[in-house]
Amino acid sequence: MPLAYPIHERTLANGLRVIISPDHSVPTVTVNLWVGVGSRHESAGRTGFAHLFEHLMFQGSARVATGEHFELLMAHGGRLNATTWFDRTNYFETVPTGVTELALWLEADRHGNLLAAVSQENLDNQRDVVKEEKRQRYDNQPYGDALIEVYAAIFPPDHPYHHPTIGSMADLDAASLEDVHAFFTAHYAPDNTVLTLCGDLTPQEGFALVEKHFGHLTAEAAPRRGPHPALPPLESPVRVDLQRSVPNDRLYLAYRLPAETQDEFLACALALDCLAGLSTSPLVSALVRRDQVATSVHGSAWGFVDGVSLGIITIDVAPDQRAEEVEQAAVELMAAAIAADLDPQLLEASRAHTERAWLAALAGQEERADLISHYALLHGDAQTINTRLDTILAVEADAVSDAARRWLTPEHRATIAYQAEREQEDVA
Amino acid sequence: MSPAPSHPAAAPDRPAVAPTRSWSFPAPIRHTLANGITLLAYDLPGQYVLAVRALIRFGLAAEPAGREGVAVMMARLLDEGTQRHTSEEFAGLLERHGIAFGAGVADGGLMVDVDVSARHLGAALDLLRQALTEASFPEDEVRRVLRSRLAEIEQERASAGHRASRELIATMYAAGERAAIPNAGTAATIGSLTREDIAAFHAHVVRPQGAVVVIAGDLRDLDYLALVEGSLGDWVADPMDVPGPRRPIPAADADRIVLVDRPGAVQTELALGVPGPDRSVATGWAPYPVLSFVIGGSPNARIDAVLREEKGFTYGIRCGFRPRARGGSFVVSGSVRADSTIESLHLLREILDRARDGFTPEEVRAGVDFVAGTAPGRYATAEAVADEAIGLALEELPEDFTNTNLEAVRALSPERLTSAFREVTGTGMTVVLVGDATSLRQGLAAQGASLTVTKQ
Repeated sequence: MPLAYPIHERTLANGLRVIISPDHSVPTVTVNLWVGVGSRHESAGRTGFAHLFEHLMFQGSARVATGEHFELLMAHGGRLNATTWFDRTNYFETVPTGVTELALWLEADRHGNLLAAVSQENLDNQRDVVKEEKRQRYDNQPYGDALIEVYAAIFPPDHPYHHPTIGSMADLDAASLEDVHAFFTAHYAPDNTVLTLCGDLTPQEGFALVEKHFGHLTAEAAPRRGPHPALPPLESPVRVDLQRSVPNDRLYLAYRLPAETQDEFLACALALDCLAGLSTSPLVSALVRRDQVATSVHGSAWGFVDGVSLGIITIDVAPDQRAEEVEQAAVELMAAAIAADLDPQLLEASRAHTERAWLAALAGQEERADLISHYALLHGDAQTINTRLDTILAVEADAVSDAARRWLTPEHRATIAYQAEREQEDVA
Repeated sequence: MSPAPSHPAAAPDRPAVAPTRSWSFPAPIRHTLANGITLLAYDLPGQYVLAVRALIRFGLAAEPAGREGVAVMMARLLDEGTQRHTSEEFAGLLERHGIAFGAGVADGGLMVDVDVSARHLGAALDLLRQALTEASFPEDEVRRVLRSRLAEIEQERASAGHRASRELIATMYAAGERAAIPNAGTAATIGSLTREDIAAFHAHVVRPQGAVVVIAGDLRDLDYLALVEGSLGDWVADPMDVPGPRRPIPAADADRIVLVDRPGAVQTELALGVPGPDRSVATGWAPYPVLSFVIGGSPNARIDAVLREEKGFTYGIRCGFRPRARGGSFVVSGSVRADSTIESLHLLREILDRARDGFTPEEVRAGVDFVAGTAPGRYATAEAVADEAIGLALEELPEDFTNTNLEAVRALSPERLTSAFREVTGTGMTVVLVGDATSLRQGLAAQGASLTVTKQ
């Protein structure tokens, strides 16, 4: 049975798609904007721009001073942030109901008139902050560069997912104010944006407020290209060996999957769950529980829209084991499980797990608003939040088996293998 | 800081903030089961995933000396084999009913979390009962869980943030204090644990006396009381003399700098700490979340206004008051660009010193409105309500604490905020840095305080 979260939708004359989803359980409103720009829209030599913008959007706009967006909303009981990903950039705040209009005014000012406030000074400062973000999250973390290596290994060099959202620091250093202006003008516009309001307001109140604050914006985004053609699975295994100062050997087995707009993606996600995600799946069961050659195994599917998605299995190798042997064992276990009939108990478990996780994701206004924007922007249908669970639960066992045979067999994998360097001698 | 003058004529002026209707943390229906267990039920219409939490009370002082970490290992093994089911069977049952099961340990006891949709509640409660009362600690699973903790310790050692936290508690609290080592134990204590230690600890502390169960979610059309009574209500065991939680004793030499050498690190992880209050502090908890916000809770807070927004030295440094069941701490932590370490530390200490001189009315207003205004959103889901409720039970605070504390937050004055901060600080702080010792040693030695350099 489909879920029944209310969805009221309208498109303003300037192209802004607006969705209001009332929920009066607590006196707060989540304002959530998804802009159709992510690292997949960056060109060579200009990587990291989408993410840099996420930072600049907090540094003031025509009528908002540097840092004021954060300061004002938090000082009125708001919680807010923004994130950048391959397919989009999102901005969101959850505020007391009476602060909704102020939040919309602030969002309209920066989404419409950011460039009036972008200066060399705040560009330089946020470039420094982004560099510290990269050092903290990628350079100074064990396995911090793993995903960068995964993307580079599994997606072709000319593919938009080949480079990570953090981008290249050299590209950021080379960015001029003109580049920054051009990027904003190309991507930040009402007709490339979805705005969701979820919470303690009526559709009439919501639409009126959005019209009042966003209706006058006139910018148009540069024409959007169509999605990249669907990528087939890797033809033969790819391998990257890394020697790093990490606590234990670790393997990342990565697979191309269909774009998340394809039903086959859902079958792949269930298959990965049944192979390596569930704690009763063959990989966890044999490698972690029975043979104890791995201390942990995780498998998950990440959905993207540009012709391909990503499946990742992470294996932490037990201290006294050889990584190559563990990889071989994992690959053989997967091949055997894929060749055999799918265990109905595993599929039942995956469905039950998916149902709880999906309902839990929709339980709070914040994540519900984010999912509404996600499906409106990337799938063209906000109602998907009410129907997606049924679609997943309806995927048949045969479809799961077929998807696994097509996408998850050993020859289609990229392996990123971390080998722990030996401890340095103490020189102190 | 004046905004740019030109803007489109059609854009409306900055709107005023309108009043928001009042909100309060929900009140539970309180039940007492046949065996004395307290059940607190929060009916939250529209919350389809139910959150069940169980608290078993004991202090970590109940762990035998040299066996620290046995409580957490016991918690991790509750669902790894019971009298009726092997570890794998139990995992299968949890998964087929879509149950998320977790167990953790704080200084006041064991907390088990179960999230489940309403139609699987009966199965979930039965599995919860089995985990608590029939865990069998199979030798094989014990070995696996201990090995996995040892691997986790190595991973924590490699993570600058974890490494700094570990060194901070070891320096801040007196040697021999339970709070001076991680709840989940060290390589030495975990390495010495046996199946018998874990089973004996479980038999000693996991009892229904004083236990609290919370259930939150959409309880309409659900006979939750019968289901809880039918599962946990029959659990009986003799009472045992188990020590409760207690406030840790600070180290006499806590006011010093410890540098953990990480050769070639591109950033330095900083952690500054001092013992602080818990939520039952006699002078009231209200000022502390506000202080956390004003000093280091946002990009505009005093710390990041300088270190992030002005200097660009960091992606963000945060501070917070962290309550335990007994006693707590005030911790400032984050990472900075390696070559800015000495200046960053100097700036941080200056900012903390200056905070003792007081806060502006604007800062207090912003902090109060942040803490009070975000509360409805922070407690909007079954999971969040259940977590807060079981936290209150753990800390032995009244069920309406969240509301009375918010009232007190709204009434805070700048003077009270200042005096609260002065009560916690002023006797020096423990400073831990994880970074490149070769380049940092000299600059740190010049800071005057006692400096210890330790290896990674």
